[in-house]
Amino acid sequence: MTLELAGALAAVVGADHVRPIPGQPALAVTPGSPTELADVVRITADAGAAVVPVGAGFRAARVRGLGERRRVHLSSERLDQVVQLDETSMLCHAQAGLTGAALEKILAPRGLSLGDYPPGILGSSLGGLIGVRTPGKSSARHGFFEEAVAGLSAVLADGRTIHTRVAPRRSTGPDLARALCGSEGTIGYITAAVLRLHRRPEARLLAAYVLPSVDAAIAAAFLALREECAPAGLRIVDATEARLHFPDAGLADGQALLVACTAGPTDLAACDRDLIASAVAAEGGAAADLGLAERWWRRRLGTEPTPEPSPGFQASAGPGQLTAAYHAIRRAVPTARLHVSRFDLDGAVVFATLVDDRGDALAGDALTATVARAEAAATAAGAWLLGARPTALDPYLKALRAQLDPRGVMNPGALTES
Amino acid sequence: MADHFTTADVARQLDDCTFCPKMCRHACPVSTTTGRESLIPQAKMDRLNKLVHDQEPWRPDTTESLWACTGCRHCTVYCDHDNEPGLVLLSGRAEANKRGAGHPALAGYGERFRARDQRLAADARERFGAEAFASTGAIGFWPGCDSLDKGTADVAAAQAVFERLGLGPVPLVDAGLACAGYPLLAAGLPDEFRWHAGKVATALRRFQTIVIGCSACRHAITALYQGEGISVGTTVVSIAEFLATHADKLPAPATKKRVHYHDPCYLARSAGVIEEPRRVLGQVADVREFAWSGVDTECCGGGGLLPKTMPAVADAMARRRLAELAAQGGGIVATACGTCALMLRRNAPDGVEVSDLATAVANLTDTPFTPPAAPADEP
Amino acid sequence: MVADADRVRRELEGIVGPRRVSVRPGDLDTYARDMWPRLLLARRAGATPTMLPTAVVWPETVREVAAIVRMARNLGVPIIPYGGGSGVCGGVVPRFGGITIDTKRMAALRGIRASDQVVDVEAGLSGERFERELTRRGYTFGNFPSSIYCSTVGGWLATRAAGQLSTKYGKVEDRVAGLTLVTGTGEVVDTDGPRRAIGGPDWTQLVLGSEGTLGIITSARLRLSPAPQLKVLRGFEVDNVAAGVEALRRVLQRGLKPAVVRLYDELDTFVNSFGHHHHDAAAAELRHTHAPVPLPGEGALPPLPPPPRATDDDGPLERLLGMVRKARHGLRGDAFTAVLDRPRLINRVVGTVAEKIARKGCKLIIGLEGARLRTEVEAALTFAELERAGARDQGEEPGRAWLARRYAVSYKMSPVFRDGAFVDTMEVATSWATLLDLYHSVRAALGKHAVVMAHFSHAYPEGCSIYFTFAAHAPDRAASERLYDTIWKDGLEAATRVGATISHHHGVGMLRAPYMAGEHREAMAILTALKHSFDPDDVMNPGKLGLAARRWEAR
Repeated sequence: MTLELAGALAAVVGADHVRPIPGQPALAVTPGSPTELADVVRITADAGAAVVPVGAGFRAARVRGLGERRRVHLSSERLDQVVQLDETSMLCHAQAGLTGAALEKILAPRGLSLGDYPPGILGSSLGGLIGVRTPGKSSARHGFFEEAVAGLSAVLADGRTIHTRVAPRRSTGPDLARALCGSEGTIGYITAAVLRLHRRPEARLLAAYVLPSVDAAIAAAFLALREECAPAGLRIVDATEARLHFPDAGLADGQALLVACTAGPTDLAACDRDLIASAVAAEGGAAADLGLAERWWRRRLGTEPTPEPSPGFQASAGPGQLTAAYHAIRRAVPTARLHVSRFDLDGAVVFATLVDDRGDALAGDALTATVARAEAAATAAGAWLLGARPTALDPYLKALRAQLDPRGVMNPGALTES
Repeated sequence: MADHFTTADVARQLDDCTFCPKMCRHACPVSTTTGRESLIPQAKMDRLNKLVHDQEPWRPDTTESLWACTGCRHCTVYCDHDNEPGLVLLSGRAEANKRGAGHPALAGYGERFRARDQRLAADARERFGAEAFASTGAIGFWPGCDSLDKGTADVAAAQAVFERLGLGPVPLVDAGLACAGYPLLAAGLPDEFRWHAGKVATALRRFQTIVIGCSACRHAITALYQGEGISVGTTVVSIAEFLATHADKLPAPATKKRVHYHDPCYLARSAGVIEEPRRVLGQVADVREFAWSGVDTECCGGGGLLPKTMPAVADAMARRRLAELAAQGGGIVATACGTCALMLRRNAPDGVEVSDLATAVANLTDTPFTPPAAPADEP
Repeated sequence: MVADADRVRRELEGIVGPRRVSVRPGDLDTYARDMWPRLLLARRAGATPTMLPTAVVWPETVREVAAIVRMARNLGVPIIPYGGGSGVCGGVVPRFGGITIDTKRMAALRGIRASDQVVDVEAGLSGERFERELTRRGYTFGNFPSSIYCSTVGGWLATRAAGQLSTKYGKVEDRVAGLTLVTGTGEVVDTDGPRRAIGGPDWTQLVLGSEGTLGIITSARLRLSPAPQLKVLRGFEVDNVAAGVEALRRVLQRGLKPAVVRLYDELDTFVNSFGHHHHDAAAAELRHTHAPVPLPGEGALPPLPPPPRATDDDGPLERLLGMVRKARHGLRGDAFTAVLDRPRLINRVVGTVAEKIARKGCKLIIGLEGARLRTEVEAALTFAELERAGARDQGEEPGRAWLARRYAVSYKMSPVFRDGAFVDTMEVATSWATLLDLYHSVRAALGKHAVVMAHFSHAYPEGCSIYFTFAAHAPDRAASERLYDTIWKDGLEAATRVGATISHHHGVGMLRAPYMAGEHREAMAILTALKHSFDPDDVMNPGKLGLAARRWEAR
């Protein structure tokens, strides 16, 4: 049966672009154009198989709950063209298989950028960046990644292609592109997006501060944000993490290191830096060696290695719950290295590196137990875990999917109650 | 501003309201309290416009919304067209009566008004004694019907304040009447209003200055009588304005209590009396403002005969007015109008104390000077 | 089969009691319309509405709303949500009868959570009352539409409204943390989740703008900003629209966020300066604090106008009489309609006068507000950027004049309709690259039938909206409606042709429903699917937003 499907798909995309996945009733298919992709979806649907979206650099597609059902792992990696770059409107129409990093390379010589999103996320394809929501895809200056989306093209379960119209804002019903953002390929397969761009900043200013406590550092961060400071990056590192990552900062127990980068027109970048400095002063902090901030920034850009291991746990919280969430995780896992970043007025994310008392990464049962402890503590403090999802509207999502995809073709294992 | 009283201008106002995107709706206390779209000023004027164009028959059910207005003029603050819905709606009420489409609750209102007025005048004579009245003099006091009915302690307090200020006993105007007649106009009975106004004016003319305790009476006498060709020829001021000229003589307590001042609409928005009552109250209290006050004051529900035509709504308006204070855990409210005091008192939630301006002045000192012979209200 | 009105009334009374249900003709008549100018044409002609609600109900809690929706679903009766009735697209017209739910008795500002800078507010609260209460507590929501006096918070959310400061604060959809909604199944759902994060589509964004077709929004959690510490307003002058657009683009794309951005085209500039109205604060204060006084002996009450004599609707005699009547009050009205009868000429002449002879150029108002330090820096950068782009600084006065009259546009509707003409506005938006195409093509399309002016007032780094105002005149109601429909058809099709959206912030309602297919094309499939998902029986505001209403149309 899979053979027959493979043949039908090969006729569309060429035999080189259909290959069986060993040990699974699955085919990996890489169409070369949106039209081919639409045909693949249609043929897959007609064959009663499922479509599982796969992007570049994106973690393995979830195939939970599919059992022995045949599936096509549909990759957008050959859809990697910039369709149009509108420098007048600072809009870029790009195919979904292009990675954020590759797009940045195209934009940079033109003085443009996707914005100051954490470079770490940009290895993903645009389709993955848009199709999956995680708290890391945010920037205080530019918002969440889905807010960069001005328009989308997608293939629905029946093979129809839709293009949402591009406009800065509109009042013509709900924002239909948002049905696709974050829906992990269940509503449609994203083939292209029109993204809002930003100018590369004229100035980028770094600063580092030491504050008497993490509480004071968090308070200082929100104080600055409420004065409309919009940093390109801001991170609070607690003493445990600083001992490994910034040993020369000499942080005493309980103290916190705050590193920040402000960007934009020079005067504005300077204004934002000053706002952070006064907020820090108001919370009893003082300036620290600028080299600490420079090191943080180099690591962020990947030009200098970050000490291993990397964080294995994250929880996000609103401004009102953030301090409590930090302390809850701190208490639950006393050995963890913690930092707080991705700040905006809606809150921030606590990242934890889970290590034992020798500083080695936890693994196996110890890791599972520690993560469970951290999760319970964070949740009790009002924080949200990565991948968590309010389920109150699940019946409506189910009905929406049933409408658009009655045969359950589009990533059927995703966004369902486990 | 007299152009508001021409046929052409009324036609213009009706049209401007009919086609207006409801810019005053947030200011109308009746529609805000009920949520009824047909009671926003724009819809009431639209309705009257249909009636005068014979696009609707004049019937009690089609004219109902003409009565849903207290005449508080809050809408006019937001009207770039310079319209006066409250005034025009009164003309609509008069026309409705003429066409036999008056409000059912106001059937025979003229009779009832006269009977109540005479009863109140007689009761007052009995309560305060003939010696408290005079038919001529330098200053006469005209408390207004709601004070004579349900606020006799306020009347007595006012007299005590006058004495304390060294003005001697200020007599009540001996007219055999209690009300200046505004309710007759609100009932759509301009002919009866004219007749009544003539009698009141005759009595008032014999004084050099008249001090008035009711904001609607002040408006009727100083503004509306003239339209009926009735001239009073006497200085007519509200008690707030009168006390303001003597405010510096009021004894200040060692510590001032917090008191919210409620602006009566007919003082703040019809007569521009906003600063004076605050000056008076400020002598004896720490004056606090409602979120909506002064020119933006919100109506207590007492105007326009709303307590007769939509009693539940009128009371709800008063409760709404005090809700802000209730949410803060209560407090004292002072106002400078007998009708406002009555409405607010009747609907005050627990912890909110409502006081007439004169009573507040008399009581909020270290040596309260409520009169010795203050007669108790009948239950 | 529509249940009979009496049954509907009884069922409603069973839910909310007798006092908060009405089947009074006066109420039904009022709730039959909003401020859609096309409905005003019918009203002016004295026509009675043909589409009336069966009953009006005023619930006070979300539970009552849910019970009403469940009841309507059982009886097979449509539900029409109603806020301030200030919409300009016919969104609240009960096309197939049904129960109009007025939200205005759900109007509490429940509370502000200072740590998160959010407010919980019920849908029926008046915009002006909402913003004043926030000001009192040191915050702003930042939405200041010219309808703020008459619209409700729920109406803003249902239509994705925008205010005059949207360039800084965003449109309302940019300021929503979560919604409470009664869906078409009668279930209460909450879309409030942490914005960061979370798997699945953003339901808040899928409900905002649904104009009551998916459910009724009963309350919302909205984002607040601190009340501004500093406000700066400045007027500039640019040579022409193109120069102004370029100047704005440069400001926005430098990452600057002025709050107020208003670029008037030549005719809008001309009309604005021609009718320059110096706001006299003292005179206004006097008017607000003093009731008008009748002339001695002329009566305490003004005389009502007599009923009109029976004549043919707008017949030649009536028109002549009308002109005589107006002549007594100056010629303005008829001169005005005479002008409107020759729109092409006027569009050309005024454009020429303003552009070539008077060389007045275009007016540009820029305002910034917010935290003191950042506003100061952004203002300096903004003004410098504008001057670099060739804009000439006119000082603070034009800004102050605009602020004093900021809602004045909403009062200009009445005199136009009174004078027998009509006026409406068309707000469209697109990217900067196609903005001037949009301006010229819509202006040309409208200019065949109407006098047109425009301003650019909501700017984004990637584009901008254009707000066209058009006025026209036709001899009678039927001709006016025909002309009105033609103008909209030509205007919106011109917008779609250049790739613009057909509405930036007024919404769809009945007016734009026929153009939704052109707006969204295949993507309408998602809207239709959302509709089936939230409202399987099509009881929520049927026949709006371009969604099919076969269940009701078949009757």
